[in-house]
Amino acid sequence: MGHIVIREDRCKGCEICVRFCPKQCIVMSDRFNSKGHHPSEFHDTGECTGCTVCAVMCPDVAIEVYK
Amino acid sequence: MKGNEAVVRGAIAAQCRAFFGYPITPQNEVPEYMSKYMPAAGGVFLQAESEVAAINMVYGAASAGIRAMTSSSSPGVSLKMEGLSYIAGAQLPCVVVNVQRGGPGLGNIAPAQADYFQAVKGGGHGDYKLLTVAPWSVREMFEHAALAFDLADRYRNPAMILSDAIIGQMLEPIEIPDKVEVDIPPKPWATTGAKGRGRNFITSLYIVPEDLERINLDIQAKYAEACRREVRFQEFEVEDADMVLVAYGCVARICRTTMNLARRKGLRIGLFRPITLFPFPSERLAALARDGKRFLTVELSAGQMVEDVRLAVNGAA
Repeated sequence: MGHIVIREDRCKGCEICVRFCPKQCIVMSDRFNSKGHHPSEFHDTGECTGCTVCAVMCPDVAIEVYK
Repeated sequence: MKGNEAVVRGAIAAQCRAFFGYPITPQNEVPEYMSKYMPAAGGVFLQAESEVAAINMVYGAASAGIRAMTSSSSPGVSLKMEGLSYIAGAQLPCVVVNVQRGGPGLGNIAPAQADYFQAVKGGGHGDYKLLTVAPWSVREMFEHAALAFDLADRYRNPAMILSDAIIGQMLEPIEIPDKVEVDIPPKPWATTGAKGRGRNFITSLYIVPEDLERINLDIQAKYAEACRREVRFQEFEVEDADMVLVAYGCVARICRTTMNLARRKGLRIGLFRPITLFPFPSERLAALARDGKRFLTVELSAGQMVEDVRLAVNGAA
């Protein structure tokens, strides 16, 4: 099982990772980050495979993937 | 991760245990991250008082058989040229990263590829060359650190990672491997304290002309072997291409996009990317020229690599 770490302060809340995660393991947070955006956050359902699609798609290189 | 961080992580994974640097944009993240990661790896990080001091510290560390590295950007790399000539003359391995910026002189901090001649033709005085690799991605900034150290150790010659402000500064996702395979040969020549053996002596001074000639012939023999064994390049859609773009580093990335756009319009364009700039992939280019390919060299300078392409093609295209 994989998991991801999102560097919240880099996130501008574009939601690309949410759309691309094939296992729906990423959701948008209700909180604000220091830039005033709602960042995305890891929703650990145990389904994450560490496929790295989120990290590859993230335009701000804010996601680290652990396999 | 930024390219400049990746080259640091790659170097430490490749057992680099000494880094000496001096700040200059756009390579500042290299010493910055070295100062963060090197102490944890049990190595030495030191910010020198100048670029000249840094390269001479590398000379010292390399003499002791340690994998040592320095980095800078164009004007700073010029300052290192005297030291590099001495290191090549003393036949020591080390790695220098050049995150190229605009020149000549102080130039600016924008990306450039105008240090090609300096990197691949020697740069300092004397008959030497730097084993030069040209990363085109953040991932290759990581991988080329090990490649450059392996080449340097194999040939006891300084190696250069010829990057640029785009590759150094851009962020890309990369996968950090758990372990990096490195090829560190035994170093019986290293000055590690002469307990139980005769003394080792490292110098680039050979006053007797015959001695110096013998050393120079040895050095040239190493380069000839590197030209036979170490050439690396990558080809895209070259087979059916009428015209082949030749580019390295950040420009090769742009050319790949250009090639794809041109292909969509039905133009048969290919891309040839030298990964090692010295040794240059001359033989492969010559073979493509004999096949009737035409070439367009694209680089972020007024035309430097184009001279090596012309020599390789030698009028055949």
